[in-house]
Amino acid sequence: MAAATTTSRTMLDIYESGDAALRVVAQSGDAETNWATVHSLAGWLASVGVDGIHGAVPTYDSVLVEFDPYLTSARQVRAFILLGMRQLDFVGTTLREPRRFEVPVVYGGSYGPDLESVAEHQGLDVQDVIARHTAKTYVIRCLGAPAGSPMMDGPDFPVPVPRLKDPRLSVPAGAVSVAGRQAVIAPAVAPGGWCVIGQTPLTVLDAAREPLVPYVPGDELRFYRIPAEDFEKYEGQFLEARP
Amino acid sequence: MTGALIVLQPGHSVVTDLGRTKGPAFGLPVNGALDQFSAKAANILAGNGDNDPLLELTALDFRMRATTDLLIAVTGAPLDLSVGGRDCPQWEPVSVRAGETVTVRGIRTGLRAYIAVRGSFTVPTLLGSCAPDTVVGFGLKLVEGTMLATQKTTAPITQPHFGLPLFRLGLAKPEFTTHPVIDVTDGPDVAEFGDTADLLFTTQYAVSPRSNHIGLRLGGALPERQLTSEVLSRGVPVGAIEVPSRDELLVLHRGRGVTAGYPVLGVVTSRSLDVLAQSRPGHTVTFRKTTVAEATAMHRTACLELDRLRNTVNTVFGLLGVGAGQRWHELSPASGA
Repeated sequence: MAAATTTSRTMLDIYESGDAALRVVAQSGDAETNWATVHSLAGWLASVGVDGIHGAVPTYDSVLVEFDPYLTSARQVRAFILLGMRQLDFVGTTLREPRRFEVPVVYGGSYGPDLESVAEHQGLDVQDVIARHTAKTYVIRCLGAPAGSPMMDGPDFPVPVPRLKDPRLSVPAGAVSVAGRQAVIAPAVAPGGWCVIGQTPLTVLDAAREPLVPYVPGDELRFYRIPAEDFEKYEGQFLEARP
Repeated sequence: MTGALIVLQPGHSVVTDLGRTKGPAFGLPVNGALDQFSAKAANILAGNGDNDPLLELTALDFRMRATTDLLIAVTGAPLDLSVGGRDCPQWEPVSVRAGETVTVRGIRTGLRAYIAVRGSFTVPTLLGSCAPDTVVGFGLKLVEGTMLATQKTTAPITQPHFGLPLFRLGLAKPEFTTHPVIDVTDGPDVAEFGDTADLLFTTQYAVSPRSNHIGLRLGGALPERQLTSEVLSRGVPVGAIEVPSRDELLVLHRGRGVTAGYPVLGVVTSRSLDVLAQSRPGHTVTFRKTTVAEATAMHRTACLELDRLRNTVNTVFGLLGVGAGQRWHELSPASGA
């Protein structure tokens, strides 16, 4: 089922994921290299534009490649991915200059209902959780669910954050959450199983704009704390890159 | 000449197509018609392109009135179709005269039905698709009184021998059942479930009322992951089977979030996803293990059946003169699309 495949420099595992997708996992042993590999591969697939390949969804160490099983097949797409890796080994990976985003957040209370339980689980006090969450410059690793969420490596916490046992049916747009070793902002209202520690008043996603969300993987993001009474002041403003 | 229809009773209906295949790369689910075979068949029977916008009805009765002469085709779950008070067949082209009401009642055994109108609709698109996306709030909302413009009208096709069906195009209709068998290939993370993975194939699962276009929730004996480590978020395919809770199995469908941190136990085949799209609360489901090669072959068999139908429809419409006199205007540019 899984075929370990060596190209000249990069180790990949390619797994069948049904009749219309393959999961490609980079196995270099280095998280940064894996991330650059899967994003470069996704970029290459998009730039080449092959009949029958719908697109690629790169995340941290893996990329899901979706295709039409009438026009092509898992076997052909697998061969094409290996060709892409050869090509990338040859031309190298190029990622664009990151842009910076700064995100105001109201922590705790009704804006961050899980802040206290996260603090308790980490063995930290609430202030310390906020301090660690705002201390880091995050790299947006990928666009995730729902609707182009900026998925980031989580704050410097002692232990991974467990997901909620009973996921919420509705989490508001702007919710700032953590789970496992990851952090995220919710661009739109959606169900969610992550721990919500705060909320930004900024609008992240607007279906009437192109692109739908202002960031791409590789961009950088920081959070800063604002008091609850300032929430309204920022409402209606869009999240935009710092000039 | 453009035509139009007016929605009289929307029930639970949307205008959709085969989905936003460019969406997942931007974090948007593919969405689109949940029963792709029925949707394609409806469009083909109406003389449209496979991916043209059409109506998807879920569970509830629906009525619309043609304000011009139209040609329609209704597919999907069994139902009662009437046009201007006359009972009409599903899975065949049906002429609707200006002013007549099209009524769909009693969707049963399955959950979803499709109405394609020859000439399709002119509707807004996002990333190349009109499929509604409930998360980003995109999509045309159909309410009582919504007018949909069609790109063509089609003069009534008359049947000289009264009482005989107008068309008999011979499509092998899919079977609809309250207990479907669903084909599944091993997921990339099946090993994490150890021996419990086999429960998937020995258990009868009940479709939960919490099921929707995002995913079906199924109650029954659950395979259990043998590891406790957290999983990095990964792109998950439509059809992925996950065990996110102790209560239910989750089978992701076309509205699924593009990434998730749950291991993928199995993946439902493209062909069986159409069958699952017709499962409603109260139905039961069993899973059967297959291979990617077999799943691909089954999918292609279904596609070839639709290709054959397309050829037949083109021939029959040509002989009947459907669209005659407008042919030059209908030729699309040689894009290969």
